[in-house]
Amino acid sequence: MSIAAETAPRGQPRRGRRIDGWRWGGRIFLVFMLLYTALPMVWMLSTSIKSGFAAMQFPPQLWPDQPTLAAYQKLLDPQNSVGQDFLRFFWNSLIVSTATTVLSVIVAVPAAYAFSRFRFPGRNFLFFAVLLRNMFPAVIFLVPLFILMRAIGLVNTHGSLVLTYLTFGLPLAIWLLKGFYDNIPVQLEQAARIDGATRFQAFVLIVMPLSTPGIIATAIYSFIGAWNEYIYAYTFLSKNEQLTLPVGIQRFFSENTTDFPGLMAASFMMSVPVVVLFLLLQRYFVRALTEGAVKH
Amino acid sequence: MTIVTGNEARRRAQPAGSSVPRKIWEHRADYAYVLPAIAVMLIVIAYPIYYTIELSFFNTPPGLQLRDKIFVGFNNYTAILTSDVFWQVTFNTLIWTIGSTLISFVLGFAAALALHRDFIGRGILRAILIIPWVISAVAASYIWKWIYHSDFGIIGAVLVELGLTSRPPNFIDNVSTVLPSLIVVNIWREFPFAMIMMMAGLQTVPEQLLRAAKVDGANAWQRFWHVTFPHLRNVSTVTILLLAVANFNSFIIPWIMTGGGPSNASHIWITHIYELAFGRQRWGVASAYSVLLFLILMTLGYFYVRALSGNERKEGNA
Repeated sequence: MSIAAETAPRGQPRRGRRIDGWRWGGRIFLVFMLLYTALPMVWMLSTSIKSGFAAMQFPPQLWPDQPTLAAYQKLLDPQNSVGQDFLRFFWNSLIVSTATTVLSVIVAVPAAYAFSRFRFPGRNFLFFAVLLRNMFPAVIFLVPLFILMRAIGLVNTHGSLVLTYLTFGLPLAIWLLKGFYDNIPVQLEQAARIDGATRFQAFVLIVMPLSTPGIIATAIYSFIGAWNEYIYAYTFLSKNEQLTLPVGIQRFFSENTTDFPGLMAASFMMSVPVVVLFLLLQRYFVRALTEGAVKH
Repeated sequence: MTIVTGNEARRRAQPAGSSVPRKIWEHRADYAYVLPAIAVMLIVIAYPIYYTIELSFFNTPPGLQLRDKIFVGFNNYTAILTSDVFWQVTFNTLIWTIGSTLISFVLGFAAALALHRDFIGRGILRAILIIPWVISAVAASYIWKWIYHSDFGIIGAVLVELGLTSRPPNFIDNVSTVLPSLIVVNIWREFPFAMIMMMAGLQTVPEQLLRAAKVDGANAWQRFWHVTFPHLRNVSTVTILLLAVANFNSFIIPWIMTGGGPSNASHIWITHIYELAFGRQRWGVASAYSVLLFLILMTLGYFYVRALSGNERKEGNA
């Protein structure tokens, strides 16, 4: 400490100048990244409140003279067919994503706990087998899964999607949660068990509450993954009334290719739930990554 | 003080080297915890893998009437490896994967470093930078398709206003610009992931070490290169591998924005396989493609597991 105090004045001016160079570089870089990130989103919003006519002007208006919510009204109005479809897609996405999330947590929590605490034969193999799932693209599984779903009668049901989505949320969920359980001292559970709790009680009463950030992060990840998934939904569902949002929007706008305000409004509303959810809970997510995955 | 639970007591009573079935039997209760996860995985992964390998040796009629398939040995594989499209698509995939991965990682890492120091508005800025990662790739594709639009796109309009071109350029209908244009979209969606991972990693770098280095007269770059970066090697490896795999496997952005066109210029492996299977219904060839893809991914996976188990070993020693 005293050494630091001694050397500080001597090193101060030189260090101060250098840091400023880096700091300014960092600021300029952040401004650039902010523009790169935000401008497309601003452009989406700006287009979504234009009339169809105003969207097709050259040069385009950065912000419309006469902003209108017509595109949103059309999408959210249950009276006309466009609104009916959009609201139904929205509802379908909500059901599929919620079911996936709940099931992911139910399946991932015990598995991660076991991988962290128990030393059973084949543990490492199974753990990495679970992680390897992330390596393989949806397309590889598409044909066989389609045939499998047909065989067990799940084609054209939301069940086929939930079952599939479960598997790509699981690896990261298990990995994150295992990191959490690794960091919770075993002594806490042992103390509970001396006090007469069963292993299960110790798990539910001691371990679960301590791993809440991990569970929340897992839930967000599963929800967002399911909400945004496109390729399975595109392949497994063919009935219009069952489509989820990404596929629904694509089907709809491949028929109405010039309705850019409508397309941007739909993109915006599709993004709102996940963005809000993520922004509310992002600190858990970052914490979960820090404590669960990255710590070494 | 340690409590000897039932399982552990039994394990201690047994001398090491008891037979595997016996060990498995002793741990039978442990498997109950992992069983649901494994069961789901088996149904949705093991079976498809087996099925894909089998199908890759067959010639199949269209329409998934798979009873009429004909065994053709390695014909599908030789057909792929001798076709021109294969090499073009492979080249595109390499550019797409390497370009997207490296640029996303560098941008994300730099953003994480710039955001590491506290300043007013940091939380808001961080939140805004993360949003593209959360937005669905379908929405992102449509947003950028509109931005790149050949008649009413905002980028084209700005270029014309600045007097750089007389006509708005056609970004995604042009063989030479389509792939870079799509990579820009992909990076837009992906650098936040690298940023989050590296932000989490940065929090594990011990403050004391950085302060000590400062005291010893290390400048900002030296502190970064000799203290911060070595600490982040593991996180960086995992992040880069995850990004590489995600990019190698990406589908939505090229599929929705161009469908692989014009003249295959933006086809990457996955979109090509999808088109072979569901577009042209050549299931056998598509499966053979998948098996090749598989082999490549297993190689990547080997490094991924090694990077992860490197983590694991360190934890064990700590």
